[in-house]
Amino acid sequence: MMTSDLAQDRAAGSLRQRASGASLGGREFRQKGPRRRPKDSMSTVSHVDEPGQHEDASRLTVQMENTYQLGPTEPFPVVVVNHILEDVLTNYLQEEHYEPELCRQMTKTVSEVIKARVKDLLIPRYKLIVVCHIGQLTSQSVLIGSRCLWDPKSDTFSSYIFRNSSLFALANVYAVYCE
Amino acid sequence: MEEYHRHCDEVGFNADEAHNIVKECIDGVLGGEDYNHNNINQWTASIVEQSLAHLVKLGKAYKYIVTCAVVQRSAYGFHTASSCFWDTTSDGTCTVRWENRTMNCIVNVFAIAIVL
Repeated sequence: MMTSDLAQDRAAGSLRQRASGASLGGREFRQKGPRRRPKDSMSTVSHVDEPGQHEDASRLTVQMENTYQLGPTEPFPVVVVNHILEDVLTNYLQEEHYEPELCRQMTKTVSEVIKARVKDLLIPRYKLIVVCHIGQLTSQSVLIGSRCLWDPKSDTFSSYIFRNSSLFALANVYAVYCE
Repeated sequence: MEEYHRHCDEVGFNADEAHNIVKECIDGVLGGEDYNHNNINQWTASIVEQSLAHLVKLGKAYKYIVTCAVVQRSAYGFHTASSCFWDTTSDGTCTVRWENRTMNCIVNVFAIAIVL
């Protein structure tokens, strides 16, 4: 599932580059940087570097043409993304029972799927961060909070919590406008 | 000025620096404490706010998103994953995992460059 998503993302990414090159006059680059887990069994990663992306040093010296655009042309559709989150979490987790290996894989899969579906909305100039937490529903207590330093006029987030009898899942999507 | 900011973006996000900052914040707030349901709200808010304040003091042109999850240590399971669509040369992330006898704390920092 993940490899086919990656292929789709690459295709979508290259289409978008060509499209934006034709319509604007400058070139707008957007490169996908998913967090890939190495093949070990650790489910937490403190820093992942993508050596492949840094080789392209010529990107750093690209001068972008001024578009005189002050803000996003369309606001980020929070309600639509809420529905996407609800949809994805319900479809993937409704029937599932909590198991460590399954949920380890499921968090990664779900975050990739959500990212792909939000990208398909083709909201221009928005960078996305998708965070997914899945935990076992027992009598322990958990608190998850986040705070953001950004421009509240253009940046926003979307969130959904799913519960069934044995597990809970929280998915957050943060959308940051890219000048 | 344009060249100054481009220099910052070329270096990219310094994950080690952020890691140290966040670790110090967590140690300051949770160090020596046991899990307490009444204080947990306040602790999470403090960790996130202090981390954000220290990151801003670095003076770099970044937007920050700081996420904190505090869970009680018991025989439970908890998984976190994230997926990001951004410019990998200038943006970055850092995750800090901290634990003591009664609780686990996971803090994620996402930094997105502001292009000036």
